[in-house]
Amino acid sequence: MKSRIFLALFASVSVFGVGAQAQANDHPAKPVATSAASAGTAANGSRPPTATDSTRAYSSQALRFESSWGSADIIRGADGPVVGTVGWFRGFDVEKLVESSPRALAEAKNFETRNFRGSLVSTIGAATLAIGIVVASNSSNSASSPILIIGGAGAIGWGLHRINTGYAALSKALWWYNRDLRADLPPSPATVAHPTRDSNQR
Amino acid sequence: MGFALMTSTAEIEAQERTYEEDALRLDSGLSGLRIVRGVSDSVVLTVGIVRAVDVVRLVAPSPNAVAQAKVFESNYRQGIWTAALGVAVWGAAFAINHIGPNQPVPLGVTITTVALVSYGATRIDTAKRALSKAVWWYNRDLKR
Repeated sequence: MKSRIFLALFASVSVFGVGAQAQANDHPAKPVATSAASAGTAANGSRPPTATDSTRAYSSQALRFESSWGSADIIRGADGPVVGTVGWFRGFDVEKLVESSPRALAEAKNFETRNFRGSLVSTIGAATLAIGIVVASNSSNSASSPILIIGGAGAIGWGLHRINTGYAALSKALWWYNRDLRADLPPSPATVAHPTRDSNQR
Repeated sequence: MGFALMTSTAEIEAQERTYEEDALRLDSGLSGLRIVRGVSDSVVLTVGIVRAVDVVRLVAPSPNAVAQAKVFESNYRQGIWTAALGVAVWGAAFAINHIGPNQPVPLGVTITTVALVSYGATRIDTAKRALSKAVWWYNRDLKR
């Protein structure tokens, strides 16, 4: 009789234990989600996991440009590779580089238009100015020389201004491109732990 | 669960807002280099020739940006002044030589001018590269 009671107790304990284990296996993600959420909450004070992901994406992909001697290198990252060089009649396709960001694409188009026109006009201006100086040097009585010099200098000024506004557009293009890197955040661990926006609604 | 989702969504929105409002970029105008903030394009700093600017303070939240800003500050104005000195030396020599009998500017003066202008331009170049990096680091380290 006693042995039957012990057997019954043992059987019930076993069934309860298996049942509890099965219950735990039904929701294997729950402890993970809780720990991840709590980790995320705890990290919010110092460095949230989203920041790490965002920083990683930004560090590896964000663009900037360095201008020197009439051209500009577009560089990926702080010390990353030069992905292209733009400047006087340089044919690097900035539009293609930033095409993933619509606003950046619009600014890149602005840059390319302004840079080309500015380069063209300033080059024509420089040639005109040079001709004017040569004419003035050879014959001081020529009436065309002041016109050529003033016209050439004016064209250079307009062209350089155009190039300058072009670089402002390039700066904006890269700013928007980098901004959209930030907006395309990977799901944060908190979101991964609670991927149930739909399930919440269900 | 809903609260956590709302929190994470708010976090992302805050990040976007912060970047849009605070991220810097470089712009160059007739008055020199400008540092512009945010989507509103508000000019926060104009880097002129004469007046010193505190780029370090502007990018203070980011240590890497501060390091680059220091490189910029130690090179930019010195580069400008060196180049300006080179031009001034040549201009003075030209003026002195044309006050009396018309004489060409001595070759040594011209070489000195070219050397000073080249050295100044190199330092300006270094400074601009550092400023570009400083802005990049600052934007990278913005509150996310």
